Amino acid sequence: MTQSRPPHPGRSRTRRRRSLRGASLLRLRVGFLLIAMVVSVFAVRLFELQGIDAQAYAARAQAEGLVHVTLPATRGSITDRNGIPLAESVDGEMIVADPTLTSAHAPAIATILARQLHLNYFAMLQRLQAPDTQFQYLARRVPAAQARAVVQAIDAKGFSGVTTRRDPLRDYPAHDVAANIVGFMNDQNQPGDGEELVFDKWLTGKNGRATYTESGGNRIPLGDNSVTPPKPGHDLHLTIDRDVQWYTQRVLRDAVEGANAESGSAVVMDVHSGELLAVADDPTYDPNDFTAANPDDLGSRAVRDVYEPGSVEKVLTTSALINAHKVTPRTKIVVPPVIKSSDHYIHDDVAHGTWHLTLTGVLAKSSNIGTVIADRQFRPKQLYDYLRKFGLGSPTDLGVNGESAGVLPPWRGWRQINQDNIAFGQGVAVSAVQMAAAVNTIANGGVYVSPSIVKGRAKTSDGRVVGSDTRTRHRVVSAKTALEETRMMEAVTRDGGTAPMAAIPGYEVAGKTGTAQRVNQQCHCYDGTHTVSFVGFAPAEQPRFLVYVVVQNPRNGGFGGTTAGPVFKQVMTYLLQKYGVPPTDVTPPKIPLEW
Amino acid sequence: MSSSVNPARSRAPRFAEAAVARARLTVVVPRHAQKAPRVPFLVLVSLLLVCGIGGLLLVNTNLQQGSFTATALEQRAHLLDARAQSLQMQLARMRTPQRLAERAKRLGMVPTSNPAFLRLADGKVLGDPAPAQPADAFRIDPPPVPKPADLNPSPLVVTAPRGGATGAASGDHGSAAGTKKSQHQRQGSAH
Repeated sequence: MTQSRPPHPGRSRTRRRRSLRGASLLRLRVGFLLIAMVVSVFAVRLFELQGIDAQAYAARAQAEGLVHVTLPATRGSITDRNGIPLAESVDGEMIVADPTLTSAHAPAIATILARQLHLNYFAMLQRLQAPDTQFQYLARRVPAAQARAVVQAIDAKGFSGVTTRRDPLRDYPAHDVAANIVGFMNDQNQPGDGEELVFDKWLTGKNGRATYTESGGNRIPLGDNSVTPPKPGHDLHLTIDRDVQWYTQRVLRDAVEGANAESGSAVVMDVHSGELLAVADDPTYDPNDFTAANPDDLGSRAVRDVYEPGSVEKVLTTSALINAHKVTPRTKIVVPPVIKSSDHYIHDDVAHGTWHLTLTGVLAKSSNIGTVIADRQFRPKQLYDYLRKFGLGSPTDLGVNGESAGVLPPWRGWRQINQDNIAFGQGVAVSAVQMAAAVNTIANGGVYVSPSIVKGRAKTSDGRVVGSDTRTRHRVVSAKTALEETRMMEAVTRDGGTAPMAAIPGYEVAGKTGTAQRVNQQCHCYDGTHTVSFVGFAPAEQPRFLVYVVVQNPRNGGFGGTTAGPVFKQVMTYLLQKYGVPPTDVTPPKIPLEW
Repeated sequence: MSSSVNPARSRAPRFAEAAVARARLTVVVPRHAQKAPRVPFLVLVSLLLVCGIGGLLLVNTNLQQGSFTATALEQRAHLLDARAQSLQMQLARMRTPQRLAERAKRLGMVPTSNPAFLRLADGKVLGDPAPAQPADAFRIDPPPVPKPADLNPSPLVVTAPRGGATGAASGDHGSAAGTKKSQHQRQGSAH
């Protein structure tokens, strides 16, 4: 207010003052301009911060001290039919070291690690002293409790630089039992093979999330706090019985090694439900130590590998013939020493003169020629249709990795030699589970039951629903035919049959041996090696279990009856004992083998 | 403020001076100036303030204490959970059929070769019971891993020449027998 009051100074002074005032005014104006410029820069920045980037900065301010934690979902267990885990997830941790901190006390730390975790002292020493790095793995997939105890012990001695990090651990408590089916998780915690791979999505849960503000390792009580709990994965229940699986694997291993064979498979099936109680393969591996395994052993040979079944197939051919009323178990057949087929000659395993056998005798002695003579009453399509109904040439759809459909060539292309060969199990390829399910049709009174290895139902990663709940049944041969075929198969394990070694004292056992020529994958020819097998079920009057044993390339010259038969006997004996199946008092009528 | 004086007032007629004087406004002074005591009020406000701040502090401290306890308990729960898991894992491994079979085998047991049953209803024996035989046993351990060729060299056969050289060699060997140390000492003294 006082500034605006006009002053009354002298004229000369006024001029001087004016020039002075002009200079200060100028300065003022320049000053104001400068201030205005600076302030406008601030204003622009302020507008930028508050108006444009406000959201981002607010978020950043919030993130300060905010912790996001992933709450890992537990992977479902894989259990046997009684709920005993074959694969389960355990909290695991990896132990890592920062060599820049540990190298000074390496020997002392290595001693603790070696004593408590049984690690190699010298390997630990080397890693603890590794130059030019701040990260070294000391041990992986250690159970969390153990890992923490070790790190605590190291910390307690005043050594720093050894820490733990999360490293999920998948434990297979039974080691190699059912490893071929269950599969394994690799060191990246990715499924490697088996059910772990096929049912990965089913087993994997959904990770949860926790967000909270943290300070000094403690949650700030009134800060942001939100938790989405993890969703654990589903468990997968198999129809496998762990004890039966173990027993079968050990008996099979003994036999495969005893015969100096390439490999072997054994399938144990519940006759009525089609559930697989054991699917054993040898050689196999320990999924806890999968890196030591031969890559060929990782999958399940019993579902993956196909081979020519040989004489076991005669069960299917003869029952089809009986069902079509072409023959009866007592049909008399004259078996010459050799028979011509197209431009080939078919022989029997043992050289013989002319035999006078009944159809039962043909089966009991496993005569190729006799089977061919009987089968020639069929047109190709008839045999083909029966074999398709028995499940040959179509996948079993168990939900196991690498399932094979086998090979059954279409009947239109068959020559005489093709049909003759297929009648006794050559020129057709099956997987062990497929063949077991086919023969199980006879044990189950003529009704085919689709085999299953998953109890209940479960969804595979590619969206198929499989399991015992989705089993299908269809009649292939009449109940009467199945009974007659069973009577014929009983003759196989009696004296005069090919497999008296498979007989179980006190029980009637129906069975069939097989000795087939193997195709060499390199030359696509029969290279002189064999596949020997035995299929059987007991008790024959009221079948409960079916056991199928296949041994590939026994180098000791064994046959189905001598190599696979004893395995069948041991496994079946165990089954009958374990499940308490007493023998029946019925003595079935014996059909003559010769005439 | 001075400019805002009402000019009409100064030009008021003098004749009504007394009335004007009477009518002039005066400040009414209350006879008993009752001043409210300030101290209780201040005390009340201070008390409220202190209580509020103190209470807030207490609640916060309490919450924070709770948070510490929660963290500690959570850690303990994790630890116990991990311990339970690893114990369960150990138990699962102890219960495997392989381990049980090994222990049974050590007791001299073999698997049965003839399943037979005793029916309690009439005491009848079903099946053909037979005593277990040592031959019923089969191997349950994995086959021994063959030694790699490097660790299992074929034996080197050296035919010792007959004569004086043998005696000298054996004498040398005899004196060298003992600890490594003595050998080193011997070498040292030889230099």
